[in-house]
Amino acid sequence: MNVRFHDNPVLSPQMPMWRSRLVLILLMLAFVALAAKALHVQGLSTEFLQRQGERRYERTLVLPATRGKIFDRTGNVVLASSVPARAIWAIPEDARNATPEQLEALATALGMSVKDVERRLVDLDKSFVYIKRQVDLDTADTIRSLRIPGIHQQPEMRRFYPEAEMTAHILGFTNIEDEGLEGVELAFDAALSGTPGSRRVIRDRLGRVVEDVQAVIPPTHGQDLHLSIDAGIQFELYTALEQAMAEHNATAAAGVVLDVQTGEILALANTPSYDPNNRDARRGPALRNRAVTDTFEPGSIMKPFTVGLGLDMGRIGITTTFDTGNGTYRYQGATISDVSRNGVIAVSDVLRRSSNIAMAQISERLTSEEMWNHFNELGFGRPPQANYPGVASGRLRPWERWRPIERATMAYGYGLSASLLQIAHAYTAFARDGDMVSLTLLKREGHPTSVQAYSPAVAREVRNMLEAAAGPDGAKLASVQGYRVAGKSGTARKIVDGKYSKSLYRSSFVGFAPVSDPRIVVAIMIDEPKGGAYYGGRVAAPVFSEVVGKSLRRLGVQPDAPFESLVAIGTGGEDAQ
Amino acid sequence: MVRVCLALAALLMISAFFLVTARFQSRLLYTQLDRLEDQSRQLDTDWRRLQLERAELARQARIDNIARNELNMLSGSPERTIYIRVPGLALDEGVPPGGQP
Repeated sequence: MNVRFHDNPVLSPQMPMWRSRLVLILLMLAFVALAAKALHVQGLSTEFLQRQGERRYERTLVLPATRGKIFDRTGNVVLASSVPARAIWAIPEDARNATPEQLEALATALGMSVKDVERRLVDLDKSFVYIKRQVDLDTADTIRSLRIPGIHQQPEMRRFYPEAEMTAHILGFTNIEDEGLEGVELAFDAALSGTPGSRRVIRDRLGRVVEDVQAVIPPTHGQDLHLSIDAGIQFELYTALEQAMAEHNATAAAGVVLDVQTGEILALANTPSYDPNNRDARRGPALRNRAVTDTFEPGSIMKPFTVGLGLDMGRIGITTTFDTGNGTYRYQGATISDVSRNGVIAVSDVLRRSSNIAMAQISERLTSEEMWNHFNELGFGRPPQANYPGVASGRLRPWERWRPIERATMAYGYGLSASLLQIAHAYTAFARDGDMVSLTLLKREGHPTSVQAYSPAVAREVRNMLEAAAGPDGAKLASVQGYRVAGKSGTARKIVDGKYSKSLYRSSFVGFAPVSDPRIVVAIMIDEPKGGAYYGGRVAAPVFSEVVGKSLRRLGVQPDAPFESLVAIGTGGEDAQ
Repeated sequence: MVRVCLALAALLMISAFFLVTARFQSRLLYTQLDRLEDQSRQLDTDWRRLQLERAELARQARIDNIARNELNMLSGSPERTIYIRVPGLALDEGVPPGGQP
C-alpha cells in the first residue's frame, strides 16, 4: 500500500488552537518591538547617532597658515623665514615599554643625554610630555623609523634668521608658537601671521581623504614683508661697530644709516648682539636694541640744532662773533668750559671748535620756550611715529621748569635725552633742505612726508658748518676718500650715581654724505670706550667714515670730492697675489 | 507596454552603472587632487628650505670672509675705480674732478 507522507496519521496530531495564536502574537510583538526600535533610532536619536557616525569617519583638518617671510629691500635676501619642524612628545606610561637601547638611540638623535630623556618620562601620571621641540624634519624622520613605543610627533613651524647676529635687533624673534615677541616680528605680527583655515573631510579606512563635507576654509598665509634694510649696508655697519667695540674695549655700540631722500632706515645695528636662532642666547643686555630704545644725553651732537635755530630766528648771523675767552666761563653760578682756548670765534667756527661757551652765549639770545618748541618739533621728547616695540621718546622737560643754566646746557646737549634714531632723524633736516623726512622701516612705495624745521638757506649754512666740522680742521678722521662729508662729533659724560662721571663717556658722531647732494645720514654711538681715547672725533668718527665710504660705494653714488690718482684696477701696488 | 518597461529598466540600470562609475572616478580624482595639493605644499616647504639654505650660503659675513681670505680680494676704493659717464644718461650734474680717466 502506498501511504503518502503527510497522510501519515502520526504526523497530523490535533494541535490546540492557542499554540498557533501564541506564536503569531509573539511574532507580532517582535515586529512591534523592531518597529519601536526603528522609530527610536530613526526618529528620536538620529542626531546623536549621526554625530557619532560622523565622528568615526569625518575629520576636521586644520590647514595651518605659514608666517610670512621677511626680505631686505632688494627682495633677494631672506632675513627670516619659517620652515616646518616637529615636536617630539611622549606618553610616559606607554614609553615604559621602550628598551634602553631605543631610548639611547632617541637621545643621540636629539642630541640630548639619556638621563635628560629619562627624567622627562618619570611622571607616569602625565599623558603628554614634550621631549624636544622644534626638531628638524630629517631628525624627526629618523626617530619615527626607530618605532619607539609611546613616542609621538606633532608638526610645528620653526623660524630661521640666516643673517643671525647682524639683523637680530631689527627683526626681533618669535616664540615657540611662532608669534612675534620683539622687533619687526612683534611690530608687524598681525601682517606676518596668517589665519589658519580648516576643512571637514570624510576619510576612508586607509586614512585617505575621500571628500569634503563642507566648503574648505582656505588658510590666509602671512604676508611677506619687504623691509627698508639693505643687507649689504647693514653688514658694513655691523662689522664696523663690532670692530670699533673690540678696538676701544667699549661696552656697547650702535649705529643707524638713513636714506635722506626717502626716509628709509637702510641699516640699524647694535653690538653686542645675539644669535636669534639660538633660544638660549636670547637674554641679557645683548637683547637691547640700543639705537632705538636707549636714550642718552646727546652732548655736542645737539649743537647744530641750536645754531640752526639761532640763524633761523635771525638772532645770530653767519658773521656774529663770540668771545669765548680762555676756555672757562662763569654763567649763572656755574662754570662752562671748553676743551681748548678759542678766543673770539665766529658762528661758522662754533661747530668746528665745538665751543660750549659760544653755545651758552647763543642760548642767551633765545628763550627757553623757543628752544623747547624747536627741539620738540625736531622730535625730541616725543615718541617717534613708529609702531616699533620699545621706541624711546627721550626726555625734554617742559620749558617752564627750565632753570636759566639749563637753557645754556640744553644748547649744547646736556639736560635732555634722546635715542640715536631720534638724533639721526633730526639730522635729515640738515641733509635735506631744512625739512625732516618721516622714517620708515618698510620699503617706501610712495613719496615720504616731511616737516619743515629750517629754511633751506639756514639748512645750507649749517650744512657748510658741519662740513667744516668734519673737515681737516675738525674731526678729520670722519673724512671719506672721494666724498665730501659733513657731521658733528659728540663726547658726552655719562651720569653715574646722579653725577657726571669723569671716566665714563659716550662717544658719538652724526653726519651725512655726500655734501653736494646728501644721500645718507649715518649716526654712530660708542658707549664707554675704555681704550684710552674717548673723544667722539677719535672713537666714533672713524666708524662713521668707514660706514659712509662703504655704503656710498654700495649705493653706487658718484664721488663728489677730488681724490689723488686714478689707478686702473689690477695694476695697483696692493694687488693681491 | 512590456517592451517599454523593459527598455526603461535597461536605461535605469545603465544610468545606475554610470552613477557608480562617476562616483568612483570622482573619488579617485579627489584623492589625486588631495595628493597633488600635498605635493604642492611639500614643494613650497622645500622652496622655503632651499631659499634659507641659499640665504645661509649667501650670508654677507660669509661672502666677505671668503672674498678677503680665500680669494684675496680687496674692497674697491675710488682711486681704483673708473667712473664712466654715458652721454644721455641723466646722472648727477658735475663731473667729479678726479673721476675722469
